[in-house]
Amino acid sequence: MLTRYVIRRIAVGFVQLFFLIVVVFFLIRLLPADPVSRFVGLNPSVEAYALAERNLGLDRPVMVQLGHYLGLLPSEGKGLLQGHLGTSWVTGSLVATEISRALPVTLELLTLAFFSALLISVPVGMIAALRPGGWADKGVFVYSLFAGSQPEFWWALLFVHLFFFTLGVAPAPLGILSPLTTAPPVVTGFVTVDSLLAGRPEVFLEALHHFMLPVATMVFILSGPIIKMVRQNMVRALSSDFVLYARCAGLSRRRVALYALRAAMAPSITIIGILYGFMLGGAVLIESVFSLGGLGQYAIRSILAFDYPAIQGVILVITAISLLVYLALDLIHAFIDPRVTF
Amino acid sequence: MTTFKQIAQVSLIAIVSATAAQAQDLLFLAEDVPAGLNYDGPAAAIPTSQTGMVNVMEPLFDYATNPVNETGLITPDFNTFEGRLVESWSFDEATLTWTLNLRQGVKGCDGATFNADDVLYTFARGKSVSGAAPIGWFLSNVGSIANFTADVFGDESARPLGDEVTKIDEFTVAIRQSEPNALFLPVLTIFGLYMFDKELMDANSTADDPWAHDYTNNVNVPSFGPYCVESWTKDNEFILSANEDYYRGAPAIKRVVMKKVPQSSNRLVILRSGQAQLVQALTPREYDSLKGADGISVGGVLGNENLFVHMNFDVEPFDNPLIRKAVALSIPTQLIIDIAYFGEATAWKGHVPSSYPGYSESATQYDYDPDGARALLAEAGFPGGDGLDAYAEAFQLTYVSEKETTLGPIVNAISTAMREIGFPVTLNPIPQTQYGDRQLVKRDLPFAVNDQEKPIGVDAGYATQLFFVSPESGGLNNMVNYRNVILDEIWAKARVEPDNAKRDAMLVEIQDILMDDVVWAPIVEYTSQWAYSDNLKGMQWHPDNSIRFFDLSFE
Repeated sequence: MLTRYVIRRIAVGFVQLFFLIVVVFFLIRLLPADPVSRFVGLNPSVEAYALAERNLGLDRPVMVQLGHYLGLLPSEGKGLLQGHLGTSWVTGSLVATEISRALPVTLELLTLAFFSALLISVPVGMIAALRPGGWADKGVFVYSLFAGSQPEFWWALLFVHLFFFTLGVAPAPLGILSPLTTAPPVVTGFVTVDSLLAGRPEVFLEALHHFMLPVATMVFILSGPIIKMVRQNMVRALSSDFVLYARCAGLSRRRVALYALRAAMAPSITIIGILYGFMLGGAVLIESVFSLGGLGQYAIRSILAFDYPAIQGVILVITAISLLVYLALDLIHAFIDPRVTF
Repeated sequence: MTTFKQIAQVSLIAIVSATAAQAQDLLFLAEDVPAGLNYDGPAAAIPTSQTGMVNVMEPLFDYATNPVNETGLITPDFNTFEGRLVESWSFDEATLTWTLNLRQGVKGCDGATFNADDVLYTFARGKSVSGAAPIGWFLSNVGSIANFTADVFGDESARPLGDEVTKIDEFTVAIRQSEPNALFLPVLTIFGLYMFDKELMDANSTADDPWAHDYTNNVNVPSFGPYCVESWTKDNEFILSANEDYYRGAPAIKRVVMKKVPQSSNRLVILRSGQAQLVQALTPREYDSLKGADGISVGGVLGNENLFVHMNFDVEPFDNPLIRKAVALSIPTQLIIDIAYFGEATAWKGHVPSSYPGYSESATQYDYDPDGARALLAEAGFPGGDGLDAYAEAFQLTYVSEKETTLGPIVNAISTAMREIGFPVTLNPIPQTQYGDRQLVKRDLPFAVNDQEKPIGVDAGYATQLFFVSPESGGLNNMVNYRNVILDEIWAKARVEPDNAKRDAMLVEIQDILMDDVVWAPIVEYTSQWAYSDNLKGMQWHPDNSIRFFDLSFE
């Protein structure tokens, strides 16, 4: 039953992806600028413009461009069907290569940040719910107002100034590794993993040190909504019939709290999953402040340069990952909540 | 516990090693790293890509240098050319042929030696117009090298290199011009005609890509420059190591790490912490904040960067010279120098960078004069701005939104001053690419502030052909649609005038016309600046604004 559900979801995901690809393909061509102009900056003659337009394939009818992009015209070259995302108009590199370099950085940042945020937010949300009006509850209220009212780049710059420049406990915002450190050979693309695979614990520690501030910034921003969500759901769960029954049955306070937490986690997991998908492209400001070179930064650079193949590639990858995250969420839901069936 | 100790020991060793390595390394923080190293490729117009190219490649010619300026920077002497890969040269006026005697014993990073084949390869590649943006062809065309005409775009048979560039012997090359043109030597100093190493380029070409565009876009650019590419991760870092065989001597700095740090404020704090030794692309306010900081120097030069107001001759009411003059008189130049550039700018009195050969300051000037502007408005039939509301759309002052930090105060100062006079100015920030499209291709920007036009060809004539000659007469980037038959005729004569004194006189005449017609409303020339550690010496300005690491050394 579960297998059929997963297969059905993946099939629907492919249909969604296809329609998204087509819509994005046409939408970016409605952007109010001509990407060719960027190529001819030093040489804006009519002949050079025509040459650049031909090189980009923009001189062909738009449906031919779409067919080429989708890979339906093998005579024109490879396309999506052949696993080819295209070549960046800014760098001349394969979009797939560039995304494979940027994506692991973002996934590593988000995974570390969400894992840390969960470790902090779930217990705090629980405590706040178990003792409404207590110090933890009041603290959460004040923190949520405080953290949520400022943009993340402002916090990031403040943290850099405080922890790097003033206190000197954090490394300079120069990316995942110091520029003078030789990176481990790329196996997975995740520096923390690759450094361990290469038997270089010093690089692993350095990467964790460099992730410290960006992760702290993200945890600071993300914890607010997660704590609120956990707290609200815990309060609701604690007032539900099954918890009242558990209390009446004389179960320990700890055990009742764990039952309530399990019920509260299902909707909380949903918001965490949505936040994860959103932050794939939305961590751009954090990536920018800490010079991480992740997917968000790549997306912004591509959009500003009207780099159609790169924009299409980023959207395709983010959508595909989001679909997988949502699928995983559904499966986790089923695991947590026995009422869910497929 | 033992494992923890081992990790700590390894970490300590790594830190000590890194510190030792740092003794000769330069950490240079920039807004980006090279997106490509192919000057005929898609990334050629990106300044940080040019920085990569000029440090790995080598020109045939360059300029001699002036003494150090008051801020500690060395500047080029644009009146004196020096051979780089060319040891000596001669010009035969009868045949318009340059004979270049090439330097012998020049070695690239792979040990390959430079010879005439590399020169022929470089020009053949340019003429192939096979890249995304054919800069090599363009510069050869600007320098009037024979047969580098627009025919190559439509006629494939016109693309192979012919007798315009010929090999006399292994170290002698002859290049023929189609007409006398003083821009021949200046274009050969520009990065878009730096020399390739034919051997390695051929080794990295494919049947689909015979001119190795993929390789130079993504991996390396084989040449004979002072540095070799050690590693390159786009969007992240670009590491160079010294070419110990470099013909002008091994570079003093053995390793350069160019690191992308997108936030200028972060570049600033890392420099202040002492971890980086050189940064670029700070805002004027940030450079100003570093003046007097311990251990840090801020060097700058009034080179070729400037700011002007663009008014489109094809859009009403800017087709009216009285309106253009009124606008020019409305601009509070000194206020802009004070609030936007913190004193690091000076009023611009012409249409060409004042440091360029051939620049002339016209007698006609447009100093800030609100009363004069009001009088001109009234004379144009719009007393107090009455009636200008009909042109409200034309008075949207467009600027690049990514430059908000720098241009924001400027456009606010201009719009405030102009509104007081009666112009219905509103602000219109748009993205860089959209701005470029409307400026270069559509040429439909009615009214804009522009701080990004620096002619890389160091010559008033080059600037004239680039910006002010009508498209019908060979103008290339005439963004305001200015057309003046008299100016076109003067330039047509000046372009082929072999006598420099006569040519300069004609360029003076052209610049007087430009000021009289208010083709642009020039505002300021601003200082190109860098901030660096006190112990970094040898900073030199080049017209492409790219730092040559070979110039630098640690004290």
